Amino acid sequence: MVSPELAFESLLNGLLIGGTYAVAALGLSLVFGIMDVVNLAHGHMLMVGAYVGILLFAATGITPLLGMLLAAALLFGFGVFLQRVLLERVVDKGMEQPIIVLFGLALVLESGGRIVLGSEPQRASLGIPGSSIPVGPAVLSFPRVVTFVVSVALIVAVWAFLKYTTTGLAIRATAQNTDAAQYMGIDTGRIYIITLGLGTALAGAAGALLSILFPFTPYAGWSYLLKAFAVVVLGGVGSVIGTLVGGLLLGVSENVGVLFIGGGYRDLISFSIFLLVLLVRPQGLFGSSGGGE
Amino acid sequence: MAGSEHERGSFIRTMLGNRRRVAIAIVTVLAFATIPFVTERWLTQVFFTVLVFVILGVSWDIIGGYAGQISLGHVAFFGFGAYVSAWLTTPTRAGFPESIQSPVIVAVLGGAIVAGLLALVIGPVIFRLTGHYFAIGTLALAAIIELILSNERSVSGGSSGYFVDSGSAEYQQLFLLTLAVTVVTVIVSYYVVTSRWGLAMRAIHDDETAASSLGINPLKYKLIAFGIGSSMAGMAGGLYAQYTGYLNPADVLGLHWMVEALVVVVLGGMGTITGPILGAGLFVGLDWILGEVASGYSTAIEGLLIILFMIYMPKGIYGLITSRTGDTSEEDPPSETVPTPDESATD
Repeated sequence: MVSPELAFESLLNGLLIGGTYAVAALGLSLVFGIMDVVNLAHGHMLMVGAYVGILLFAATGITPLLGMLLAAALLFGFGVFLQRVLLERVVDKGMEQPIIVLFGLALVLESGGRIVLGSEPQRASLGIPGSSIPVGPAVLSFPRVVTFVVSVALIVAVWAFLKYTTTGLAIRATAQNTDAAQYMGIDTGRIYIITLGLGTALAGAAGALLSILFPFTPYAGWSYLLKAFAVVVLGGVGSVIGTLVGGLLLGVSENVGVLFIGGGYRDLISFSIFLLVLLVRPQGLFGSSGGGE
Repeated sequence: MAGSEHERGSFIRTMLGNRRRVAIAIVTVLAFATIPFVTERWLTQVFFTVLVFVILGVSWDIIGGYAGQISLGHVAFFGFGAYVSAWLTTPTRAGFPESIQSPVIVAVLGGAIVAGLLALVIGPVIFRLTGHYFAIGTLALAAIIELILSNERSVSGGSSGYFVDSGSAEYQQLFLLTLAVTVVTVIVSYYVVTSRWGLAMRAIHDDETAASSLGINPLKYKLIAFGIGSSMAGMAGGLYAQYTGYLNPADVLGLHWMVEALVVVVLGGMGTITGPILGAGLFVGLDWILGEVASGYSTAIEGLLIILFMIYMPKGIYGLITSRTGDTSEEDPPSETVPTPDESATD
């Protein structure tokens, strides 16, 4: 049987990782909610962000917390480029073309990663000294606590950006009704570019944060895509706070779940949660917009 | 209804109506039939891959191109069919009773039937999802099946693999069996997509709400497409298992089969049957050349091809050929029924 102390520690660790899962999912959720495009390459962009963190750390010893900024900036540029050069031609033409184009992009990133970086797992570490934090019977590792705090700060920043800036208002208007937003004088083409840039930048930031906690290979993309999508489904498409709650839920269920069914099935938990929630409540546990379309 | 005398007659007329097309098809099949006897084993293997890709591409296209349900889990049925056929010819290795040991043909059919049944069981549940959710849902489904088979080493052999004993069957016989299955698959697919079923599938693809308001039951036709397509994929998997004689979950359930099925369809032309056939030949040829000149880069180049074709040539090679020759005697690609503003610009 699983001891209560172990279960408690797994629960707390799950919450901490869940915060970073939420960052990983937020970009996917925003792009889906605003542009009605599922970024099938989101997990692979996250993988690219992770390698930015890892390589920077390996070369200079700079903590991935700063590497995160570089990863986000690079992937913001990549997202803008992607929207202007490729997706602009296929968005709003049904779902088949964008989804297959992004599938192709995921393949390019994955095999490009394998060619440039090899298949060996690599990871960074926090690079900042700090001691573990005891909470009751559990002990929380310092890097996990730090990444959690940074993750929540990022999510709050995105929430504030959408809520309190003019651009944020334009983004929300476009998400609600693209045509109406255009009539109000919003350049929705530009909003799409900003949205995809923001979405991919968040993928990059999440990757750099996760590189502190887990080793990465170029093949990690699909697994993180499905995890991120599970969070999106839990939290409701396009909802920032829902995404945070969804991330925490996924982190906890994964960490507590492996105690019972074994580490080999870790990913099975997120994939199953994802399918179950989708089938029972397609609008997400906290979403109000009609899902399934 | 779809099997009425009148329609069967019109189907055969359509099939035989274009003499040139029939002649090309017969010559191609005969040429393929001689391959294992006039070339070496490795070259036969290359052409075997073409046939498997034809089955995979055509079967995916029934679900994705005709019924419009972008499934990213096609590989699950391929892999599952492969394992079922392996268990049927080599039962004791997975701990099944020896009494179920069957000949290769029965095993391949078994793989097809089990894959089809699996699709019909999962279908009503997974078709509660539409659009993007369906695509990701099928991706998750495939990931779950791969994860389970990789972890259940006793039935799948895990990472060390599962050796398949195809009895006394020589590779030449297996090649001919694969060829026969491919021909049957293509004919059945033509029949399905030119029947009223196919018409209903295209209607759902174009506008599900409109189709259902005209009395078409979307779930029924999606299930038909999913069941037929998946059992064909299972059959392809079964043939692959018997021909190669070795399976492991990371290979037969790996995403690369999904990638290849999609490349074959996208290169050839979505929503046609001839498209994936051309696509399979083109892709294997391309893959072979890339393997020679740019080994290691082939997946990246395949990804690029998917992107470029989807943006600049969404109707694929077949669309290019038909627009050049004006030969539209075959089924019209569904996309032509939806006028998009810059249709001409994308060709």
